[in-house]
Amino acid sequence: MKIAVCVKQVPDSETRINLPGPVPDLDRSAFTLVINPYDQFAVEEAVRIKEKRGAGEITAVTVGPQAKVREMLKKDCLAVGCDKAVIVDDAALAGADPYAVAQVLASVLKRDRFDLVLFGIKAIDDDASQVGVMVAELLGFPHVSYVGNLVIDGDRLTARREIEGGVEVVESGTPCVLTCGKGLNEPRLPSLPNIMKAGMKPVEVLDCAGLGLTPPASLTRVKQYSPPPPRGGCTLIPADDPAAAARELARRLHEEAKLI
Amino acid sequence: MPNIAVFIEQRAGQIKQVAWQMLSEARRLADAQGGEVWGVFLSEGGEAPLAAAGKYGAQTVFAAAAPQFARYDSELWTQAVAAFVRDHHPDVLLVGSTAMGKDLAPRLAARLGAACVSDAVGLSWDGGLVVRRPVYAGKCFADVVVTGAVAIVGIRPNAFALAERPTVAKAVTFAPVLDGSAAKAIVTKIETAAAGEVSLTEAEIVVSGGRGIKGPENYKLIEDLAAAFGAAAGASRAVVDAGWVAYSHQVGQTGKTVAPNLYVACGISGAIQHLAGMSSSKCIVAINKDANAPIFKLADYGIVGDLFAVLPALAEAVREIRRR
Ligand SMILES: Cc1cc2nc3c(=O)[nH]c(=O)nc-3n(C[C@H](O)[C@H](O)[C@H](O)COP(=O)(O)OP(=O)(O)OC[C@H]3O[C@@H](n4cnc5c(N)ncnc54)[C@H](O)[C@@H]3O)c2cc1C
Ligand SMILES: Nc1ncnc2c1ncn2[C@@H]1O[C@H](COP(=O)(O)O)[C@@H](O)[C@H]1O
Repeated sequence: MKIAVCVKQVPDSETRINLPGPVPDLDRSAFTLVINPYDQFAVEEAVRIKEKRGAGEITAVTVGPQAKVREMLKKDCLAVGCDKAVIVDDAALAGADPYAVAQVLASVLKRDRFDLVLFGIKAIDDDASQVGVMVAELLGFPHVSYVGNLVIDGDRLTARREIEGGVEVVESGTPCVLTCGKGLNEPRLPSLPNIMKAGMKPVEVLDCAGLGLTPPASLTRVKQYSPPPPRGGCTLIPADDPAAAARELARRLHEEAKLI
Repeated sequence: MPNIAVFIEQRAGQIKQVAWQMLSEARRLADAQGGEVWGVFLSEGGEAPLAAAGKYGAQTVFAAAAPQFARYDSELWTQAVAAFVRDHHPDVLLVGSTAMGKDLAPRLAARLGAACVSDAVGLSWDGGLVVRRPVYAGKCFADVVVTGAVAIVGIRPNAFALAERPTVAKAVTFAPVLDGSAAKAIVTKIETAAAGEVSLTEAEIVVSGGRGIKGPENYKLIEDLAAAFGAAAGASRAVVDAGWVAYSHQVGQTGKTVAPNLYVACGISGAIQHLAGMSSSKCIVAINKDANAPIFKLADYGIVGDLFAVLPALAEAVREIRRR
């Protein structure tokens, strides 16, 4: 099986953003960049599929500045079992929206014949949850989004995805796009020797011209970032007597907040 | 003047509440700007929900009925909604950010070459549509402007309040050509959750437990309080990773994003990744024995105390009030 995994570099989940007021753009210079946590589930799933079948090849693909993404590809993709990597680095793609990124990824993925293309369910910076499904459409592949459990039998796959009030069981053949969520697996950590060896694996760097692609235009643009609306502050209910505190809280939720 | 279409999602004949919330908001925008509000409804063959859609201001409900709409199928439903958009040219199509909507919107947008924005919590008009949405897990908000003939906008459930605006809605049926040969990922089965279990992302009240509950046997305190409120039961990642409750209950950056009217955090410290999933809840209650826990910075009401003493009494008090 030939598998591609699309990974994005994002600010660490600990990142604090404290805006004093509305700003035209964020200052990202101090962000610590890591692999998108959901993409780790995608990478791990690809590696498990290859291990189970005893054969296959895994290509990690990212769109981002090579100076920043190289280390992530080495440590979080190549050192844990991906075979090679592709970087699309093009200044024209700075700030590209999910649809533009999807078009770039699709043009990379069209150069080869992949059986499975894996994504994270969403990137934790733009929280868009769009790129994987858009790439499926652009490739003409079926997709299953928000996969929490996957069984592959030959070239048939059965994926389970959570919906409101239950689980949807979806069956598909290959090729197929899957977007991977937590619950799918427990990503492994790279070992030091494997990180060393990963440095030897091939990494291809391309720009849009190299793909024969005009940099796609973004159809959405952020014109302003602003802080979340301020919260009102906390009314502390004295808790010397826990039962009385509980009754007082219930009373306030009923009479003041009118929530029960 | 924008014509705004709202995708009225149904599963097994049940219409999602977010559809009425979206119609209410669409009506507000259309009233300010001029323009019409439409519903789009796919079903196996039932009646289009004209009365309900009209109640929230829809002027027209475009309805397609086909056996293929008995269950969600991303390919066929995309074909149908794409056909509607191509024939009627709405300027904006609102889709609930539900399991179905998040699956449908990006495929539809890529098929139509349309702008796509997810998880909106605010809509305004400033020469064109401006979409407000939380980014970086709610650490800040982005105002997004869109270009193109149609914008597909995902709307976070519970972000908009219902507003009745009685209108006589008329029905227009349409019959999209459905090409089944293109559909390759098929829903073969739907396993429904235990009866009475409230879905986390749709719930109006959520009660969540953290590591403070000490062990799996005590999650029932959370479930019991949730039942008293008629709420969904959530958890922090610490509780999920310890295996005390299934991942489907996790709230936070790598779990679910919820925005209920009331969020009750019990024995949860308030790590930044947990706040990511619940910080836009309308009212937040924290019950924690550590007065310095960061959750209190966000909370509207707090009890600094032992959850083992507070929760059963709170469940009793809530039951008492709801019985009245
Ligand atoms: C990439 C990444 C993603 C993450 N995603 C998520 C996520 O999606 N969701 C999430 O929740 N976390 C997430 N985390 C983990 C997060 O950082 C915290 O570790 C986690 O939220 C802590 O859970 P907790 O509040 O239950 O536990 P703790 O931080 O241990 O807090 C327990 C609290 O219980 C209180 N307590 C103890 N006993 C009692 C008692 N008897 N009565 C009352 N209070 C009591 C304590 O005072 C304490 O405040 C993520 C972390 C990373 C790195
Ligand atoms: N710049 C990128 N390079 C490679 N993959 C990406 C990129 N952006 C997004 N993705 C993939 O698409 C998924 C969803 O991203 P998003 O739609 O932005 O939330 C991510 O989890 C990645 O798998």
